[in-house]
Amino acid sequence: MAAKVAVLVFPGTNSETETWRICRDVGLDARIVHWSQAATLPQFDAYVLPGGFAYEDRIRAGAVPAHDPMMDYVIEASQKGKLILGVCNGAQILLEAGLVPGTGPVRRPTAAFTHNGPVPHFVCKHVHLKLAVEPSRCAITAALAKNALIPAWAAHGQGRLAATPEHLREIMQGGHLAFVYAHADGTVNEAAVPNASALGCAGLTNREGNVLAIMPHPERDAWNYNHPDRRDTGDILAPSGGVKLYAALAEALNLA
Amino acid sequence: MSSRTVAIRLKIPDNEAYTALTALRRLGVDIARLERAEIWTFEDRGTEHDFVERVEGNETLFNPNKHELHLLEEGKPREGEAWIEELDAGEVAVRIADIAHGRRFVGWRLFSEGHTPADEATVRSATEKLLCNPAIERAITA
Repeated sequence: MAAKVAVLVFPGTNSETETWRICRDVGLDARIVHWSQAATLPQFDAYVLPGGFAYEDRIRAGAVPAHDPMMDYVIEASQKGKLILGVCNGAQILLEAGLVPGTGPVRRPTAAFTHNGPVPHFVCKHVHLKLAVEPSRCAITAALAKNALIPAWAAHGQGRLAATPEHLREIMQGGHLAFVYAHADGTVNEAAVPNASALGCAGLTNREGNVLAIMPHPERDAWNYNHPDRRDTGDILAPSGGVKLYAALAEALNLA
Repeated sequence: MSSRTVAIRLKIPDNEAYTALTALRRLGVDIARLERAEIWTFEDRGTEHDFVERVEGNETLFNPNKHELHLLEEGKPREGEAWIEELDAGEVAVRIADIAHGRRFVGWRLFSEGHTPADEATVRSATEKLLCNPAIERAITA
């Protein structure tokens, strides 16, 4: 039986459909769960927080949804070792909830994905995420190859990792830097980073490795018609690279 | 050169303040009302008599259809208020006559029942629980 995954919808979430679709297409029993249905959450094996503008980013991106009753269940599930993936706004919520990097108490954030730099701007760009830890460091990436490269679309105004120097040191030393931005050939340098993110960070994991927060959207590069170089060639409905991350999530869940 | 401080508030209903109010109440912060304002501190080379007019002339900061501007007597938070500043924000260039730069804060003013400004402990609790992410912001209180 396929693992059950809840795709969480807060007021203002807008990427639930493509997230649900890719979860379904990698063999998961994915359901969209709205904020009013929070009490159904314990029955799920894993949780995906999709992108959007939950609660209109009021106060700060992710700040209000981090305290939504849905997150009570997600926090409890994370403490039980269930797998949690946050993408874009979902990643911002996980940071505000203190689940990643998870170096402080719950709901006391030690880092944030905040306004892009060096000048605040919205980024809409095709990017590549490079796995920056051993695949087994995070349960969701365990089925990926070492240094795996995942194509994705960055679409955010607030995706720059920011934290105090002390907390950035903790992120590095604790192996929390799960993904960095890279060029298509895997080269990592400042030019590959679209938003001045500290450490070139595109994704973070927690100490236990069961929670992953990534800013770019792999689900928006799931099929060839989503990929900038493959729209006019070959089978446009064939899987593209972004599907690899969700397939790895499915493998982790179906092995569990 | 004179230091001047203004609070620019919505005169239409402030949905963001209402969301913050309900979220804070749910987190156990006992307040009756919450006001949000954009706070700007400026070093002004001009005269005081036309200062408000010059700031209101900047259409990026002030829209007369939805904003009201208050000149604050002191360049620090009022009773019951916290100012939140992004740690890496620094000075922001502004297009106002005789003013080159300003510092921007988000001001949150909390009131208890009877519209009395909230006490210091309540303001601190609200900033720690919701209004300030210390990884990227700092909170200044009265």
